[in-house]
Formats: sequence, structure tokens, C-alpha cells
Amino acid sequence: MLSRGVNSAAQLSPAPIRTLDDCWNNIGVVGDQTCRELTRHIHCQNCPVYSAAAAQFLDRPIAPDYRREWTEHFAIDKQIATPAKISAVIFRVGGEWLGMPTQAFQEVAERRVMHTIPHRRQGVVLGIVNVRGEILICASIGKLLGLKSTAVVKRQLAVFGRLLVADWNGQRVAFPVDEVHGVHRFHAADLRGVPATVANSTISCATGVFPWRNFTVGYLDPDAMFTSLNRNLS
Amino acid sequence: MLFVLFHLGQERYALEAACVVEVVPLLALKQVPKSPRGVAGVFIYRGRPVLAVDLCKLTLGRPAQENFSTRIILINHGNKPGEQQQLVGLIAERVTETLRREKSDFINPSLQTSSSPFMGPVLMDAKGMVQVVNPGQLILEELGALVCAPQLSILGANLPAEVIDATH
Repeated sequence: MLSRGVNSAAQLSPAPIRTLDDCWNNIGVVGDQTCRELTRHIHCQNCPVYSAAAAQFLDRPIAPDYRREWTEHFAIDKQIATPAKISAVIFRVGGEWLGMPTQAFQEVAERRVMHTIPHRRQGVVLGIVNVRGEILICASIGKLLGLKSTAVVKRQLAVFGRLLVADWNGQRVAFPVDEVHGVHRFHAADLRGVPATVANSTISCATGVFPWRNFTVGYLDPDAMFTSLNRNLS
Repeated sequence: MLFVLFHLGQERYALEAACVVEVVPLLALKQVPKSPRGVAGVFIYRGRPVLAVDLCKLTLGRPAQENFSTRIILINHGNKPGEQQQLVGLIAERVTETLRREKSDFINPSLQTSSSPFMGPVLMDAKGMVQVVNPGQLILEELGALVCAPQLSILGANLPAEVIDATH
């Protein structure tokens, strides 16, 4: 009786190849699993008999265009894509997508109850929050950067507000944001200067902008961010 | 140490992976007129012409079978570090496996056939004996001055351009 393995081999190759013993279909994982080697290799994929059978499929005559295609491929220089070096966490505040170096962040937490501080309702500081038992200052990025609260275009996907916990030179601050995309890597060449027409304080904190999906993301400098924050705290 | 395994006929041989630059499929070769036995032709590898030596032709007297598993093992036989890579392609059959063995696993064969001193020590594995091939020695003996010159001397001054045309 012809087994399945031999059948498929016959379809692939016009030339007859040696008869395959498809033990994986009989005593292996597809069969009744009585093969003694299974205790050692656990799955037929790890067994040398299986890989030797696979190697037999390469002992077929090459296709007519095979040589030409590969000759063209190897004649030209190898294209090596350089890995993107800059890593940033992308998040949204109001209608603005922003990014800050990943090293500046410690965690992305869920929004939680915030305690407001008396007589401090107007400034950058929104209040204090409890993150893993530690009381952190909760600051508004939007107010820090002077972003205007714009109406957000409603999207179909569910969007969850998050609390970004940042740590820069030992100073831990929590920033509530409207949405967090996650970590994104990009090339230094993609970082472009902030347009001169952007006339708000974002300029002092943003070192540049980079494209991401259909948006232009402002890349914030944590040094400038925390300096500006500290000025507002005092 | 990692070895690339290949077959010559039914016998298995090993090549130290450290001298292997890349294993490429069987490529279209530009025939070289009046080339010595074993030289299958020239192909363009990443913009430069490289000589292809058919190990089957060299040792068994028949050309390698045109199978998917027949591949070109590109080795660097430039012996001095820092020197520009000197590439030679070795066409061998059934280049589908690698083998990891330590130097202590080598068994030196007690008899050395003087006709093929490029054949080195022997390794054992589950399927039997594997002989280690010394690529530098092989190139030196079989091709000698042909490839040891800074430029492949069998390639005429106008040949590379011609070869490039032929491959496109």
C-alpha cells in the first residue's frame, strides 16, 4: 500500500526518488505513537529520521529557471537593512501623538484614583497617585507642553487611558495619557526638525518629529521635560 | 567546531565552517575556455567574479548532479588576516547538513595517501565516517597558481564585464 509521504513526493518530482519510510505516519506522532524514539525526541520534528527524509526531497533535479533566478539574486550586492536604533514610547495626549525615549519610562499602568492637592488646581500638577505603594506626583503633559485640548476624532476601536510612570535621573513622575501605542523603533535619519511654524512651548521640549503610521509624532526630550516640570513644581 | 557536510558520490566529507563564507544554490556558470580539470566556470557573487570548482569532477571524474541539494560552498582561502577575501566556490553534492564536533573527536588516519594530502582527519558520527577536507590545501594543489595570484589569472582583463553581461 502506498503511504501518504510517497504520494506527495511523486507529485512534486517527475523523477522517481527512493521509497520513503514514513514512520511518522505509522508509529510517530501522526500514527499510533508507539515509536521508542519518541521518548527521547518528544516530537517527530526533532528526530533525525524525519529530517533525513526531508533532505531527500532536495535530491531532485532543479527546475529550469532555478539557476537563472538565483544567479540574478547573488550577482547584486547584498542589501543589509540597518536596524533602527532609537526606541520611543508613543502615546497620545488630546489630539497630539507624542513620543519619549523608552529609557525614560518605568511602566504603563492603568488609570487610578487621583488625589488632588488643595490650592493646586490650575497648574501642571494634577495631584498624587499611588503606584505600587509609592506616592507619585501626577502631572499633565498637555499643560506642561501648552497643548490645547482639541476635540478628538472618535474612532471605532476601544481606547483606554493609561498612566505612564516615568523615571528620569531618579525622579519618578506619573503622566496620565489618553492612549498608549507602545514601543516604536525608528532610524535617527527619520527624526526631523520641529517645524518653525509650531508656535507653542512644545518646541522647547521636542527635539524633533518622526513619522509613524499617518501621524507626525513629536519626539520629547526627557531632560527638557523634567526641567520644565521642576520649574512648574516649585 | 562546526562543519559543513557534503557528499562526493556516496562518501561524506566535512569542511570547517570557519572558512565558509556562504552556501549558495547552484548558479549559472560562465564557461572558461581551456580551464584545468575541475574548474566548472565563473559566476558573479555580490558583484565580483568567483571561480567555481566542481569537487565531483575533480575527485570522481563526473560533473555534479544538477539537484536542489547540489550547492556551491563559497570558501575564503585568503590565508592572511586583513587581506581581501579570496573566494572560491566549491560545487558539492548534498550540502544539507552541518555537524558539531570538538577537536578531540578527530581521529588521524594511520595511512596517508600521497595522492590526496588535502584529505584530513576523520570524524565519526551515527552514520559512520566523515573525512575532513582541508580547503586551503585543496585549492593549492588542484588549482595552484590559478587562484593564488591576487587576481584570478584565468580571467582576462575584459572577462569580468563579459561575465556580468552573460548573467543578466
